[in-house]
Amino acid sequence: MSSSQTVELKPKDYKSDIKPVWCPGCGHFAVLSAVTKALAHLGLPREEVALVSGIGCSSRIPAYVSVYGFHGIHGRALAAAQGLKAARPDLTVIVAGGDGDGFSIGGNHFIHACRRNMDLTYIVMDNEVYGMTKGQASPTTAPDWAKSKLTPHGPGVPSFNPAAIALASGATFIARGFSGDPNGIARLLVEAIEHPGFSFLQVLSPCTTFRPEQKEWKKVVHPFAEQEPTANPVEAAQRIQADDGMSTGMLYRTLVPVWQPDNVATTQVEALEGGFQV
Amino acid sequence: MNTEPSQLITSVPEFLAHAILLERESVERYEELADSMETHNNLEVAQLFRKLAHFGELHAHEVEHHAEGMELPEIPPWDFKWSTPESPESGAMEEVHYLMGTREALEFALHNETRGRDFYAHVAETSPDPEVRRMAAEFTAEETEHVNILKSWLLNLTDAGEEPLEDLDPPNVTE
Repeated sequence: MSSSQTVELKPKDYKSDIKPVWCPGCGHFAVLSAVTKALAHLGLPREEVALVSGIGCSSRIPAYVSVYGFHGIHGRALAAAQGLKAARPDLTVIVAGGDGDGFSIGGNHFIHACRRNMDLTYIVMDNEVYGMTKGQASPTTAPDWAKSKLTPHGPGVPSFNPAAIALASGATFIARGFSGDPNGIARLLVEAIEHPGFSFLQVLSPCTTFRPEQKEWKKVVHPFAEQEPTANPVEAAQRIQADDGMSTGMLYRTLVPVWQPDNVATTQVEALEGGFQV
Repeated sequence: MNTEPSQLITSVPEFLAHAILLERESVERYEELADSMETHNNLEVAQLFRKLAHFGELHAHEVEHHAEGMELPEIPPWDFKWSTPESPESGAMEEVHYLMGTREALEFALHNETRGRDFYAHVAETSPDPEVRRMAAEFTAEETEHVNILKSWLLNLTDAGEEPLEDLDPPNVTE
C-alpha cells in the first residue's frame, strides 16, 4: 500500500479486487457500499484505516475493502480490534460482523467494549440468523421462528436487544440503519467514525437465502420518532423500550472520556527478562 | 417526486453531478450483480448483467463528456436529490436472487431504467434553470430509448414453457 495519496479517492477506490461470495440480494452488499462511501466522504487514506471482523457471512467484509483488514476468529473481532487500537491509536479502526458473532459468541466482548469506550466503530449486520452454517437461530431471532430443524418450535426465548445492552453497558453512540438505504447507513457511519469513543451501529441486513421473509422489512422500517439523538440515558432507555426494533436513525450519543492506554514504555525488555531468570 | 424548492436541481453542474453518479452507480451495480451471479453459477444472467454494465459504461462516458472542463459540486451521498434510497438506476439489491432467470433480470433492468427516465423527466419539468431543463429532456429521451429496447428484448424473449432455474443442492436444506 502506498504511504501517501495525493488523489482524491472515490468510493470505488476503497473496494478490493476480491469479488464477494455473498448471495445475490444479500443486505451486506449495502453495508459494503456504505463503508466505501463513508471512507471516501471522510477522505481517509486507505493505509490509515483497519477493518477487523470475526466469523460469518458479514465478517468476510475486510476482504472486500481495500484498507488494512483482519479476518479473525469467531466472536473475537472486538478483542482483536481493541488490541490494535491500543497499539495503534492513530488508525481508524472499524469492526464488523454479524448478530451471531457479535451477540452470542462475542457477547461478552460486546459488553466490555461498550464499557471500555475505546475510539472504535462497531457495525453489526443483523439478519437474525446464522447464515454461513445454513440457517440456525441467532440471539436476535424471534422466539417463534420455527424454520430451523435445530429449533423446530422456535428458539422459545426472547430475542437479544442490542441497543438496550449497548446502552446498559456504557456505549456512547448507538444507531440503527437498514440495508435498503445504503446512503442512510453511510451517513450514520460517518457520524459513528467521527464520534470520539465506542460507536455501535446495528444494520438490519436481510438474509435473502435463509430468511426470505425479511424482504418485507423495507415495508416496515421507519425512522425513530425523535429525529435527534438524546444524550440522556434514561430517555434513551425509554426510546428503546418503546421501539419495535425497526426504527432507524441515531438513538443515543454522549461524550465521556475515551479509554486509550498510555503506550510509553515504563521498563526495558532486559529488565523484564531479568525477572524471569531463575 | 419531491417538488420542494430545496429539492429542485438548479444548475447544470449540479444536474451533471447527479447524472454522472446515477450512471456510474448503475454500472457498478450491474457489475456487482454479474460478479455475484458468476460466483453462484448463474452464468446466463451474469452475462446479461455484464452486457447491461457495458451499455451503462458507454452512456456514462457520454454523460461525463458533457461535464468536461466543468467543476462539479461535491455532494455527500445522502444529499443527492432523488426520491429513491439509492440513485434511481441502481436496482434494489433485495430484488435479485441467485436463481433468477433472464426474464426476471430484464424486468429488474426495465424497472431501473424506468426510474432513471422518470428522474430525468422530473428534472426536465421542475428545474428553474432552462439549460438544465433542456439537458434533462435530452437525457429523458435517451432513457426512453433504453426503456423501449428493454421492452423489445422482453417481448422477443423465447422462454415460454422454460422451467425455472433449480438448485439441486439448495443452501436452505439443513442437515
